[in-house]
Amino acid sequence: MKKPATVATARKPAPVDMRVTLGPLTLKNPVLAASGTFGYGTELQPYFDLESIGGFVSKGLSLKPRRGNAPQRTCETAAGMLNAIGLANVGVEAFLNDKLPALRHKDTVVIANVFGETRDEYVAVAKRLNGAKGLHAIELNLSCPNTERGGLAFGVSPVLIREVVADVRRAAPDLPLLVKLTPNITDIGEAARAAAEAGADILSLVNTFLGLAVDLERRRPVLDNVVGGLSGPAIKPLALYMVHKVYAATRLPIVGMGGIASAEDALEFMVAGSGAVQVGTANFYDPRAPLTVAEGMEAWCRARGIPRVQELTGTLRLPNAREQETTAG
Amino acid sequence: MPFDTAARILSHDALNSDHFLLTLDAPRMARASRPGQFVMLQAQPGRDPLLRRPMSVCGVAGSPPRRLQILYKVTGHGTRLLSRQPKGATLAMLGPLGNGFRLPARASGPRAAARRKGVALPRQILVAGGVGIAIFPFVAEALARLGHRPLLLFGARSARDLVGLPLFGRGRLDVKFATEDGSRGARGYVTSLLEPLLAADGPRPTLYVCGPTPMLRAVGDQAQKAGVPCQLALESQMPCGIGVCLGCVVAAADPNAVPPYPRVCTEGPVFEAGSVRP
Repeated sequence: MKKPATVATARKPAPVDMRVTLGPLTLKNPVLAASGTFGYGTELQPYFDLESIGGFVSKGLSLKPRRGNAPQRTCETAAGMLNAIGLANVGVEAFLNDKLPALRHKDTVVIANVFGETRDEYVAVAKRLNGAKGLHAIELNLSCPNTERGGLAFGVSPVLIREVVADVRRAAPDLPLLVKLTPNITDIGEAARAAAEAGADILSLVNTFLGLAVDLERRRPVLDNVVGGLSGPAIKPLALYMVHKVYAATRLPIVGMGGIASAEDALEFMVAGSGAVQVGTANFYDPRAPLTVAEGMEAWCRARGIPRVQELTGTLRLPNAREQETTAG
Repeated sequence: MPFDTAARILSHDALNSDHFLLTLDAPRMARASRPGQFVMLQAQPGRDPLLRRPMSVCGVAGSPPRRLQILYKVTGHGTRLLSRQPKGATLAMLGPLGNGFRLPARASGPRAAARRKGVALPRQILVAGGVGIAIFPFVAEALARLGHRPLLLFGARSARDLVGLPLFGRGRLDVKFATEDGSRGARGYVTSLLEPLLAADGPRPTLYVCGPTPMLRAVGDQAQKAGVPCQLALESQMPCGIGVCLGCVVAAADPNAVPPYPRVCTEGPVFEAGSVRP
């Protein structure tokens, strides 16, 4: 039997405002694809439209092309993977000449990830990117070993963080500056404050956790580089905790990441204090992951009548309205 | 252009205790696949294991093709879980990926006429080690379509590991075996079958090789010495399969090559012998 056409009485779900503003940077939705998991932006175009997500962060760029480490470079672990790619990349010139032009007409935010082995290299890459047409921001990767200081990663020392962030701030004054923090440090809040004081606009966290995989039969490290960076769902609680800590430590907007594979994961990062998120390792096993996350976040908000996704940032309800510090266990 | 689909298992058969043949319903992927390409296949629904597994396309079936076959060996956690997936289950699958083998021109005209007269012709030789056989039914079928009758040299540890032969169309190829324990064919490695063929007079053969890394190195070296064209299909730890993670690379033979570390998933999985150091 045909149903009579009646006036719809069901509430029409209100559209959700998915835009988020992080200091000088506005994204159409809170989902970015993370550096090192999305190539230079065009590789995943067969799978979804780049314009449907907030933006993406390029593979880390150095002044000259880099070969990267010898294989074996990756190893799957429980709910995650280790990688030691060795910062292989085409170099900043090839990025500007061969990669960026294909992205200029895309209505999405393009962020260049930058690293160097010395302060000078960071500065040179940032200078080269400043003013590049079609580039919206740069993200500093502080996990690169500093060859002038015995290979210590820049990001593990608040002193080095201050120096390099201030240098890059001056070298690229026109571009919003994200500083990506390493979790391999005693107090990430201290690193966050150092970056903030030196002129960072936004903090992105976390980079991978250092790890080791052992080939038992051969009694050798699985990775040629011995040590690798752990990513994937295994690190999500660790990363959430870091976001929680940094949110309490600074006033800077946060881009949170670490094992995000679903809309719920991303929303948890927002509640813990992130203004936006990055989807990384999930891109490897689901090339549509960033789109699925963005769509799912919108649906979640719509179902709960949340008009603006940005309202969720930092809404974690703490017991006794105070921060529970590290007394667990 | 690769597709990312949920593919239903049409059949899943044990060939012996650790080798399995999986047939999936994947029309677009089956139509688009070329010999030597691969797919990234989920081992079971959900996120354990996290990463998909690269699997050679063993063959396609149907007219037009709509079924895609994968032959694999249980070697660890992922393939063990995969081997338990029942008929009717649905697995995420991405493909076809990679470059595939370069195939010869159609053997027609004077060549075909020569063959009919019994004159020796350049031989297409498939060299398989162990589960490396998985890549070759599709290759053999394509060669047969092109009018070639390839020779398969199949080496494995033991006769029980010589699986998948029924997947090769009957009467379309010649086969020689080598087993390490001598339980079938020549005792020893597949390289010992190849040696006399490379030393023989007559037209140079073309080699297509897939198997464990030491075998790829050995056969690649043999081919290089003999000056014979040789394509190696490589295997690698491969997180993404689409060229973004840079995890699956192999070293180029020439340290100044561009790129110095080609990606097995994108520049490969098939490489000319001598161009890389597997």
